Amino acid sequence: MRLVSLSLYIERVELSPVLTLSNTEKTFGALPAVAPTSFSVERGSFVSIVGPSGCGKSTLFNMIAGLESPSGGSIELNGGDISGRTGHVGYMLQKDLLAPWRSVLGNITMGAHLTRGVTREDEERGAALARQYGLGEFLAHYPNALSGGMRQRVALMRTLMTDHELLLLDEPFGALDAQTRFEMQRWLLDVWHSTQRTVLFVTHDVDEAIFLSDRILVMSERPGRIVLDLTIDLPRPRRTAVLTDAAFMGAKREILSLLHHESGEQ
Amino acid sequence: MRFRRNLLGSFLSFVVVVGVWQAIISFGHVAPYVAPTPLDAWRSIVENWSHLWPLTLTTVKETVFGFGAGAALGMGLGVLLSKRRFVQRVIYPILILSQAIPIIALAPPLVLVLGFGLTPKVVIVAWIVFFPVTVSVLDGLANVDRDLLMLARAYGASPWRTFLAIEVPSASASLFSGLKIGATYAVTGAIIGELAASSGSSLAMFQHAQSAQLDAAGVYGTTLIMTAVGMGWFSLVALVEFFTTPWKRRSIARRAGRHI
Repeated sequence: MRLVSLSLYIERVELSPVLTLSNTEKTFGALPAVAPTSFSVERGSFVSIVGPSGCGKSTLFNMIAGLESPSGGSIELNGGDISGRTGHVGYMLQKDLLAPWRSVLGNITMGAHLTRGVTREDEERGAALARQYGLGEFLAHYPNALSGGMRQRVALMRTLMTDHELLLLDEPFGALDAQTRFEMQRWLLDVWHSTQRTVLFVTHDVDEAIFLSDRILVMSERPGRIVLDLTIDLPRPRRTAVLTDAAFMGAKREILSLLHHESGEQ
Repeated sequence: MRFRRNLLGSFLSFVVVVGVWQAIISFGHVAPYVAPTPLDAWRSIVENWSHLWPLTLTTVKETVFGFGAGAALGMGLGVLLSKRRFVQRVIYPILILSQAIPIIALAPPLVLVLGFGLTPKVVIVAWIVFFPVTVSVLDGLANVDRDLLMLARAYGASPWRTFLAIEVPSASASLFSGLKIGATYAVTGAIIGELAASSGSSLAMFQHAQSAQLDAAGVYGTTLIMTAVGMGWFSLVALVEFFTTPWKRRSIARRAGRHI
C-alpha cells in the first residue's frame, strides 16, 4: 500500500512542472514592468525567453530568484510557493561575477562559501565537475588569467554546484564573441544533457534560443507578457547543421516577425 | 620576481637621493655647519647610537601602537558608517572637524590631559591615522559590485557571510591605500607628540638639543632615523598587502582550495 502511494507520488513529481507562474506580475510604483504572466516549465526541459530590451525579462528572473517579490500572482517551485524567497534556484548573469580573489575552484565552491562554509567534499565535487567539463587544468587559476568564455564556464559550474534543479541563465553568453559563443552553446547543451537540470534561459539572440531550446516564450514590450509559446521540434543532440534546417528557419521567421511587429519596426 | 625588482628599485632610489644630497653640498659649497654631507650625517648617527637607539625604540613604539589603534578605529568606523547611513550623516562632519584642527595645535592640550608618557603620542598618531583608513573603507565598501551582492542574496547568503566573503575582500585594495597613507603620517604624529611634551627623552627633543648646539650633522642624522622609522613602517604595511593579495600579482594560486 505504502509502496503504491510512493510510486504514485514519484510519478506525480516527475510529471508535474518544476516551475509554475500563475498571473505573476510586477509593478514599480505606477509603472507596470511585467503584465500578469502564466507559464510552466517541464522537468528537464530547456526553455528560452526572448523579447525586446527592457521588456521585463530580468524582472521576471529576479522574481523567480526571489530577489524581488511579485506584485500579484504566485511562483511555485515543485508545488511550493517561493515568491520573495531566495536560495531555491541557480542564478547566472551576463556578467560572470567571479571573485577575483578566489581561485577557479574557490569560485566554483562560492555557493557553499556564502551559505555554510566549504568542506572537503564540496571541493572534491567542484574539482570533479570542473575536470569533467574542461576546466581541470585551471583549478588554481585566478579568474583574471582566464578568457571570457572560460570565465563563463566557471560561472556555470558555480551555478551547477548549488544543486538546484532549476537554473536561471540571464543572457550568459551575451558578452562573448560569436565564435566563443557558439562553442559555449554546444558546451552548455552537453552540460545540460548530462546533469539533467531544467534550464530557463534569457537571450536577445533568436538563433541562440532556437538552437538551445525545447520551447521558446516570446515576450512583448514593457509591460512584458508572453505573446508566443513555441515548441521547437528539432532532433537532439543538435549540431551545426540544425542552423540551416527548414524547421529552424520557420521558427526563426515566426519569432522575428512577431518581435518586429511588436516593436513597431515593420 | 616582482618582489626582487621592487627591492632593486628601492635601492636605486636610495642611491639617487644620497647622490643628489652629496652633489648639492659639494657643488654648492655649503658650509658643514649649515648642512652636512650624507657621510657626516651617517657618522653622527654611529657616534650617538647609544643615545639614539633607546629613543628610536620609543618612537617606534609610539608609531606602532598609534597606528594599530588608529587603523582599528578607522576600520571599525568605516564599517559602521557604511552600514548605518544615519550614523554616517551625524558622525562624518565630526570626523572632518577632527581633521581640520591643526594637529600641532591639538598636541599641547592632549599632553595637558594625558601627561608626558606614551599615551598622548599614541593618541595623536591614532588621530592622524584613523581618518584616511575610515575614508578608504567607506569608499571600498561603497564600490563593491552591486550585482555581486545581488548574486550573494540570490544564493541565500546571510548579511554577515556576505560581508566576510564579498565585501571585505572587495574593499581590501581601497583599505590598503588608506593604511599606507596612515603609515606615512604615523611617524609625523609621533614626533609632533614628542615635541609637544617637550620634556623627557625623545628623538624630537634630542634633535632639538642638537640644533641648539648647531650640530648640523646630528640634526640631519636624527632626521634620517625618523625618516627610516616612517619608511620601515610603510614597507611593513606594503609587505602585508603584498602577501595578503596574491591575486593581484599571480595568475595561479598556490593551492586550488582550502582542502585540495
